[in-house]
Amino acid sequence: MDAYKKEVYFTILMSLAFVITGHLGLFFSLFPVEGYLFGFPIMYIVPILFGWFGVLILTVVSGKIGNHIDDAIEEENQQNKKKQSGEGAV
Amino acid sequence: MEEQLWQLSNPILGIIIVVLTFVLFYVVSYISNRSSTSVEDLYATKGGVGPITNGLAMASTYMSLATFLGVTALILQLQVPFVLLWIQFILAIPLITIIYGTSLRRMGAFSPTHFVRDRYGKTASIIAALWMILVCLMYALGQMIGIAVTFETLLGIPYMTGLLVGGLFIVGYVTIGGMSGATNNAAIQMVIIALMFIIPLGAIMKAMGSTGWYFPPLLYSDMVPAMLEAMPSFFDYQYSSKWYFAIIPAFTLGALGLPHLAMRVYTASSLRSARQAMIWFALALGIVFASTYTMGFAGVYFEQSTGTIIGQADADKLTIILNLVYNPEWVTALVIAGAISAGLSTISGNLLAIGALISQDIVTTLKPNLTNKSKLRLGYISIFLGGVASVLLAINPPAFLIVSILWAFGLAGSTNAPLILMGVWWKEANRYGAIAASLISGIVYVVISPFVFPSIVVSGHALTDSMGISGAMIAIPLSFILLIVISYITNRIDALRDEKSVKDIHSLIERIHGWSDINPKRYNSTAGAFIITFVSALIFVWAIMPWNL
Repeated sequence: MDAYKKEVYFTILMSLAFVITGHLGLFFSLFPVEGYLFGFPIMYIVPILFGWFGVLILTVVSGKIGNHIDDAIEEENQQNKKKQSGEGAV
Repeated sequence: MEEQLWQLSNPILGIIIVVLTFVLFYVVSYISNRSSTSVEDLYATKGGVGPITNGLAMASTYMSLATFLGVTALILQLQVPFVLLWIQFILAIPLITIIYGTSLRRMGAFSPTHFVRDRYGKTASIIAALWMILVCLMYALGQMIGIAVTFETLLGIPYMTGLLVGGLFIVGYVTIGGMSGATNNAAIQMVIIALMFIIPLGAIMKAMGSTGWYFPPLLYSDMVPAMLEAMPSFFDYQYSSKWYFAIIPAFTLGALGLPHLAMRVYTASSLRSARQAMIWFALALGIVFASTYTMGFAGVYFEQSTGTIIGQADADKLTIILNLVYNPEWVTALVIAGAISAGLSTISGNLLAIGALISQDIVTTLKPNLTNKSKLRLGYISIFLGGVASVLLAINPPAFLIVSILWAFGLAGSTNAPLILMGVWWKEANRYGAIAASLISGIVYVVISPFVFPSIVVSGHALTDSMGISGAMIAIPLSFILLIVISYITNRIDALRDEKSVKDIHSLIERIHGWSDINPKRYNSTAGAFIITFVSALIFVWAIMPWNL
């Protein structure tokens, strides 16, 4: 069940991370912040930067973890097959 | 300000450049699709597209004519709230890929409704397919109108002529090219969109006096003090947190139900390639999106600092107006070609989805014994008819449809997204729940939209209701609740339970996640379904409370 749990947790947590990164406007509407960053108001530029580079980084991370989970599922499939054939031999 | 002021003084130049881009797309279509011998080739290119081409095609299919024309217009009207609304659209492909795209790619689906058919049966899939055809038609219709309006207002070609000639050329090139042609063209169109939007924008910024003109997406902060002086409220959030929250169901979840986006994931050559494609998608989309915010910023700055009033009717032409003011005419002609490319790539995605929906999800479901040759012919006919239908609908348009395109997201989110999400992740989701969810929440979403019954609206704020933001906050949670509760109850009524189909469905779900065995404990969480129902109920109650916008 390990690979299954990894897959479920990965999908939930990664989806949440994507949604939060793409919706920083919602958080600033709840908790307004004063000040400037790179010459822009923080509440303007931070959602834009996260909505681009933040999402880009998450796609790289989720791509790598997704590939790893595919391998883990495949490995568990092989183990289950071996277990079943082993049981058959006994 | 008179509308005809914003036109190329030499439309021939514009027409020549547009014709040359069409010739390029036809050649690419013809070369790409010569080997299309089956429906798999037509809709999914046998899953043979590399990650860069696919990622660029995803971004191009997603970026419609709205990116060039509508977004900047709405930034002009709403300022920063619309920028914050638009940012989250980048989440679509990454979320589709990680939540269900790779699973459906593993299954070999042509369209999301193909999965709905195997998962929930024929009736549910036909209902979902009919809704999806409506979504795609709304989407394609908006692009057709946009292209005809662009021809009309900028090149002086009458609306009807532009629509019929342009529409026919577009339908022709999608029908000839199939998915393979559309994918290669979409990748080329992405490059054209980026170049024709960003480079002229740099020239506009330079003319406006910005020192960051060499990287338009982010380097315009030196214009901020002048903007604050000209329009102190530009950066204000204006709306409540509820408005910002409502964007999540309306557009982030809505995008998960759009068939023409999901279909791009299925064209990937492998799961790894699909995951790499989403990186290219985020990179390409991010740069163009950030540039549209700059263009919107520059438009507001231009309007406020020069005292020029860009009227409601001209707002959609902001990008073109700025180019006409600050750049030579030949540059504006290239920008028009870029705008039309953006419309073309989206229409081709829509028409291919309509083709797959009609031929694969409806006709083949009803008549499963068709030969491969007949299916292929039917596919071409469906794509062609979908295109003709969108041209005919655009003959008498209500208005420029950017707002209605956004409304279509909520419809996809209400009728399709919950079926796919729960179908992939929860074995208990069944056809009774799916049919009720798709049918009831779809009807509710249509009824509470201002387009059908203008007196029945949710928030009372015209733009919020017409973009579907308020309607989706009611209909999408309702769809999840209906799907989960009805499935849970009907699964416990013996007379409604078909053991064989339950076994087949469990096997399908395990298989699309990559498992070779069936384990009853996997994808069967009652607690998870309960949490989703509870959260959906909270959102639903919040949505029907006063909006105070």
